[in-house]
Amino acid sequence: MRRLGLRTRVTAVFAVGALLLSASMALVSYELTRRSLLDERERTALRAAYFDATVVRAGLDTDTPDVVEVLRSLDTGGIRRPVLHLDGEWYARTADPTTTAAVPVELRRVVAAGEPAVQRVRVDGQSVLVVGVPLSASATYFEINSLRELEQTFQVLALALTTVAIMVAGSGAALGWYATRHGLRPLTAVADAAEKIAAGDFTARLDPATDPDLTRLSSSFNQMVDQLARRIERDRRFAADVSHELRSPLQTLAAAASVLARRRQHQDERTAIAAGLVADEIDRFQRLVNDLIDLARSDQPAHRDPVDVVTLARDACRALDLPTTLVHLAPDVPAVWLVERRRVAQVLANLLDNAVTYGGGPASVQLGRDGSAGIIEVDDDGPGVSVEDREAIFDRFVRGRAAHTRGTGDGTGLGLALVAQHAAAHAGQVTVGDRPGGGARFRVTLPESLP
Amino acid sequence: MTAVLVIEDDDRIRLALLLALEEEGYDALGTATAEEGLRVQRRDPADYVLVDLMLPGLDGFECIRQLRRHDDVPIVVVSARDDTHDIVTALEAGADDYVVKPVAIKELTARLRALRRRARTSVAGHVPEPVPVLVVGELEISPDGGEVRRAGQPVPVTRTEFRLLCELAEHAGRVLSRQQLLERVWGYDSGDERLVDVHVGRLRQKIESDPANPRHLVTLRGLGYKLQR
Repeated sequence: MRRLGLRTRVTAVFAVGALLLSASMALVSYELTRRSLLDERERTALRAAYFDATVVRAGLDTDTPDVVEVLRSLDTGGIRRPVLHLDGEWYARTADPTTTAAVPVELRRVVAAGEPAVQRVRVDGQSVLVVGVPLSASATYFEINSLRELEQTFQVLALALTTVAIMVAGSGAALGWYATRHGLRPLTAVADAAEKIAAGDFTARLDPATDPDLTRLSSSFNQMVDQLARRIERDRRFAADVSHELRSPLQTLAAAASVLARRRQHQDERTAIAAGLVADEIDRFQRLVNDLIDLARSDQPAHRDPVDVVTLARDACRALDLPTTLVHLAPDVPAVWLVERRRVAQVLANLLDNAVTYGGGPASVQLGRDGSAGIIEVDDDGPGVSVEDREAIFDRFVRGRAAHTRGTGDGTGLGLALVAQHAAAHAGQVTVGDRPGGGARFRVTLPESLP
Repeated sequence: MTAVLVIEDDDRIRLALLLALEEEGYDALGTATAEEGLRVQRRDPADYVLVDLMLPGLDGFECIRQLRRHDDVPIVVVSARDDTHDIVTALEAGADDYVVKPVAIKELTARLRALRRRARTSVAGHVPEPVPVLVVGELEISPDGGEVRRAGQPVPVTRTEFRLLCELAEHAGRVLSRQQLLERVWGYDSGDERLVDVHVGRLRQKIESDPANPRHLVTLRGLGYKLQR
């Protein structure tokens, strides 16, 4: 199951917390209100019953009392119904059997024993309060109070409290949502800054003044970026210094070697061979230095421009004396890609050079697409690359066994590492696999380079 | 014989370059400082100047600027520094081309020959037939005379700027890509497009009334440059 986001979780906790709190508050206040209202009602009912009982007792004190008439003479309003139990007979104002049935047996016994009592019972789904007052040894007086109005009050109260509880829970959720948004804002700022920095903008910083509680986060983040920027600048300067320090003496060597090469016919055989070796090695050293410098600075993102890659690929073939017919542009793929010219030119040159040196010569250069990604595939006729070497081949200073004798030790061992780095600068990658029908297939993916 | 002035403070590099250039048939002369180089060039102008950027005293950028004040001699920067800022600054100061050390002597002489090819006026009398004056808007360009006039007034341009302008004027109204211009003006199969951009910028300063909003020498993004009326 996917983990819920921090915001969702905090919001849910806020909502549940608020609901629990408000629900218990509502329950408690409902219960308290209900009890005090009922108590109040019981007291009122009891008082009224005592008063009525006095009237009934006085009415019964005559010789031939008309019991029903006495009961009718009571001013009980609409909510009290008097019932009299006299000498084992029930008397009420009307001949309604439910009225007498409402008086519970237990209450009857208590009152018959000479104790006034109150009991709440349900009759026909209606809540009623039955009050019993003993009149004499043979007579007990009961009053049945309807609690319908009170019940309605309770319902309204419950509804109001439930509504409030739900509203409080909703407010809790809103508060949680707002609080997390507010609380997560610094994190969003950190994420934005980190994205900018990853894209190469080392001026991005967090504002340490926004929130005193987050000063530590923002200051340590800024410190980290400062250090990173310093380190990158130091590396860059080091690469520039190294390149300068290595290139200057190489210039002397290159110029001097060209003089030696010019004068080959004036040299004896052994001197000529030695001079040739020096010239060759200077040449290789030059390429090595250039590759190293390229490698040192190529970890920055590519500067993309519209580039005609077909022309670029044909130029790369021409530079290595290969036929330009090797280059194939897949149908419905435009020739102009949004890439960094220098890097893609070097990718093509290095892959072709690799195919010539180790792969028995390139078989084709295919330019295709995969969605918006440009795909460069260079096939060769060589023995292919074994599965276990397919990762290591892109490491620095890894050299394969040359397919032909002249090439031994000719490469710098950096060509494919540069290809990988240039692909990465375009947010892409390079892989090597089997070409259908034998040989290796190098595949470079350059995302976002086609419309 | 073609004379080359080499301004380079490293004695060994200078000596090796002079030896190699002489071996290739040039009349090479070297100086260790920009001041000395400027003095030599004033007294006895060479056909090309090769200049390093990091020099004691007057640096290479200032040296190029001062040379450019009176001289349209082709200037090639030979530097171990290759960051964009240095290259663009040197080109903006007035250099025609730049190469990064170590440069093979064959490559260097090829660059010099390419500069010579376009410096038509320096081989006056060698042009077999007169080329008509090119007119684009208020610009008049006479390829033979090596002259550019804007609204009748002569505009001072360097030889490379002139070649670039001729190339654009010959194809007026059509787009030339940076690579095409590099090939035709600098003789590169595949070179640094900043060369073209900086030279176009320098040309705009001279032929446009508002160089920031060019009317004649316009950029077509992703395609190249076009000279229009």
